[in-house]
Amino acid sequence: MQNLVSHEDWKSCFSEVAPGLLLFARQWVQSAADAEDVVQEAFVKFWRRNHKIENRALLYAAVRSIALDFIRRDSRRARREATAVGDTDDFIEPQFEFEDDTQRALAEAIDFLPCEQREVLVMKIWNELTFAEIAGALGISQNTAASRYRYALAALRNTLQLQ
Amino acid sequence: MNDLSQIEKELRKLRPARPSPILFERIEEAMIDCRAGASPARQPERLRYNWLSLGFGLAAAAVLVLFAAVKMERQESGKEIAQTSREPEAAPLLNRAQKSTSTDKFVPAGATRLVYNTRDEGLQFAGSSGQPLRRMRYQTHETWQWRNPTTGASLRVSYPSEEVVLIPVSGQ
Repeated sequence: MQNLVSHEDWKSCFSEVAPGLLLFARQWVQSAADAEDVVQEAFVKFWRRNHKIENRALLYAAVRSIALDFIRRDSRRARREATAVGDTDDFIEPQFEFEDDTQRALAEAIDFLPCEQREVLVMKIWNELTFAEIAGALGISQNTAASRYRYALAALRNTLQLQ
Repeated sequence: MNDLSQIEKELRKLRPARPSPILFERIEEAMIDCRAGASPARQPERLRYNWLSLGFGLAAAAVLVLFAAVKMERQESGKEIAQTSREPEAAPLLNRAQKSTSTDKFVPAGATRLVYNTRDEGLQFAGSSGQPLRRMRYQTHETWQWRNPTTGASLRVSYPSEEVVLIPVSGQ
């Protein structure tokens, strides 16, 4: 087990987890810049507490907690962002790197998932957390995490079949 | 895409956007600041809602103190009348004063705490300990009631309250 504090090249650790963490944080904040603020605060806090990098559930819990505090701190801004989500004409920075239209459609479908399904999906697919780790980070049971994951996959399948 | 495993496969092909190079620099600076003893990042204003609850709590406490002070003052004035009245004709006055004191007596009649919303805000770290804590937010409505058994008068104080409770959880 490796502690972040003893890891001289923390950048390699961060490079590995950062894309998934940013994607996770983007559920609550609309801009990439805000997501980076949240991830920075969480990662530095995690590093300060000398947690093991393998304990990713705690890292995700920290991101979630800080993101929720972030939107609470500035409720007016959160309302503005919520309005922006409803307005499809507004430009929202992409959260994925697309290679073709199929991937673009899939990424757009992810945005329409309910928040509780999306967060499980993000943690499972792009961060490879186990259901036990997801359950720990979100404060839910493993069965709930697994069922939310399956619902998310089914919703995406249905959306793509309709297109 | 007929089954869920095919969707999973397609999802894994999607690559999340990379963080900006500036983020690495910012984190490095924050870590350096941290080593130097400075705060690594903005601290969230966790106490904002607690201050609100504290305000309501203090307001309720002030009402109680005021009520107690008024009651004591009335009792003192009743005693003074009793001590200075030595004449036989003062007896009805003394009785009246004693009666007056007894009618001023309010007794606690009830207290309710209605929790109308509970929200699990997930895990977080607090203080210097590395142990994760579950953050629960309770929104309540508290009501305190006193009643005067002689006159039937009642006094009721109600106020909304919000409470954040951090519950230690065991590690994974």
